Amino acid sequence: MKTKRFQFLLLSITLVFAPITCRAEITVSLKKVFVQQFKDKATISTKFRIDQHHNSANPIGSGSKDGDIHIAGRDSVVKLPMVSEIINGKKENSALKFLLTTTSGQSVNLTGVWRLWFEHPGSADQIQGTTVPPADDTNPDHIFEFHPVVQFGTFNLLDSFAPIKNGSKEFRGYPAETAFPAYEKRPAVITVSNSAIMISSTKAAYNYAEFEMRLAGKPKDVGDGFIVFANVYSIGSGDDDDPLFEATRRMVFVKGSAPAEAVEKLKKGDRLQVLGIPRVNLNEVFAIASGLHGDEVFDETLPYEMIIVAILK
Amino acid sequence: MGMFNSNVLDIVIGLIFVYLTLAILCTAANEWVAAVTKRRGKTLERGVRQLLADQVVPNADRGDQQFAEEFYRHPLITKLLDRGNHPAYLSPRTFAAAVTDIVTNTGPAPPAPSVTSGLTPDKIETPLPNFAGLPEGQVKRSVLALIQHLKERNDPAVVQQALEAWFNDSMDRVSGWYKRRTQLWTIIIAAALTILVNADTVHIVRQLRNDPVLRSAVIEEAKVRSQKPRPTVTVEYKDENDPTSPTVTRNEGDALSQKELDVLGQMIGWHSPFRDNLRGETFLGWLLTVLAISMGAPFWFDLLNKIMRVRFAGKSPDETAKPPEKPDAEPRV
Repeated sequence: MKTKRFQFLLLSITLVFAPITCRAEITVSLKKVFVQQFKDKATISTKFRIDQHHNSANPIGSGSKDGDIHIAGRDSVVKLPMVSEIINGKKENSALKFLLTTTSGQSVNLTGVWRLWFEHPGSADQIQGTTVPPADDTNPDHIFEFHPVVQFGTFNLLDSFAPIKNGSKEFRGYPAETAFPAYEKRPAVITVSNSAIMISSTKAAYNYAEFEMRLAGKPKDVGDGFIVFANVYSIGSGDDDDPLFEATRRMVFVKGSAPAEAVEKLKKGDRLQVLGIPRVNLNEVFAIASGLHGDEVFDETLPYEMIIVAILK
Repeated sequence: MGMFNSNVLDIVIGLIFVYLTLAILCTAANEWVAAVTKRRGKTLERGVRQLLADQVVPNADRGDQQFAEEFYRHPLITKLLDRGNHPAYLSPRTFAAAVTDIVTNTGPAPPAPSVTSGLTPDKIETPLPNFAGLPEGQVKRSVLALIQHLKERNDPAVVQQALEAWFNDSMDRVSGWYKRRTQLWTIIIAAALTILVNADTVHIVRQLRNDPVLRSAVIEEAKVRSQKPRPTVTVEYKDENDPTSPTVTRNEGDALSQKELDVLGQMIGWHSPFRDNLRGETFLGWLLTVLAISMGAPFWFDLLNKIMRVRFAGKSPDETAKPPEKPDAEPRV
């Protein structure tokens, strides 16, 4: 009887304490001033030092065959491990030719949509401002990326904000009903120090999503783009269908791109079928951080918004 | 009967509930202690004084003065002091402005701008503080190193930027001190609370195992607690046309109800003389409780919610906990 009691006691206590050791998340530490500066911006302009690059665009198909050109490197503004991704690489021959003439370590003026997302986080925490070693390949562990690139050297790439096609082949994002439930459930632990905001999360999936957005308000001009609240629907939803979830999400458009020119003219209730990629909503992260006291921890879901890279319809 | 049945799960829920309620009490006590001892302000003051230590600054009226003392005499800082108490927060901008003003007004005069210095008329509208003219000291060394790093040493905006960066880097260290002190206080308060109320994990598990009525009551309270909002901050965007202006609200839902305290009281407390309780397993039980409380209320709240979902999976939300079973034949310990 004593053995049984002991087992009972041990099992109960083990069950309670086991979860303490069961958290495997990667943390990115961002400077508050950086978050404050870019939380409501679509893009960042920087000097990008090229370490490694693709010699051709990814093929077009499904999954990772997204037609992107990957360039791994380091920069002078963000100072995190990063890659830059030119979308619709097949359309950007001049930029690719220029890229092929560059040498490792060469700096290029670059403007790109900033994107923080735990797609390739690796296993080590990342701290903004610490020395970033040169990348060994075109896809090093990174949480930050410029995706899509808007200007590479002297090459304007705004025309890459279009459906990703090459002849009869077209890249398709994940259906909204697959991707968005995953985005909505991404875990996040946010903590704050006097000068930094730490965001911890786990590896994310479903990079591109196709969905219908219905505007919930007017697009706001944020200088280099537009941000608007919208509800998210599956492609093909009817008038009476419900959105995939009740809340609205921020949609980010880059000024000068075809999606931005389209959304600028829209009003509440109007619809667009789009291709988008998620990124951390730093506006919400900054607001959460400002509400935390001392060493409090925000342990909920990851605030995110969508970068609109193409209009599908 | 298998070991992993709903009784075990109920005991686990009961234990988590006890840890959650004790962690909430511990947090409240810690906040009270922090407020009474003005922990945040004192830690910040220690950080600022360390930053400005080992540096004198010439003063026309009072002769050489310690930089830290001049800093705390500066009107920008004195207006933040509440009856002499240090504020809990100091912005980098205020810090930089006060330091710049001290160096500009009480320090040596800056050198006259020359062609080689790179100063242009638009850049000298704001007086350039002459850190190089300060006597040797920590402030001079640190600020000049930062300005050198930023390369454009003659631009007042760069000096401001360097001072803010210097302050921010130092405040990361201060945040670390504060966290460590808070963690230390959490453990001290958790230990004091545990012994004061005799919250012995081993004894609590035994009680939950042997007393189905108590177990049922704890499950009921755990259900109520798990349905309360999690203590956290929430962000709302109230204007649908302005996606850049969120409103932050803090949900403090931490207060314990009388029922929760009553249930907790049945599992903890000194029911026999102190000496009779001093056994090896009591110390183990206290140690486990202290460790658990120091994990913090949000951790136990999240775990409680997850286990409640497992416990009541498949049952309707209105279904109450199962009725008490017939008590075990085993004698209570």
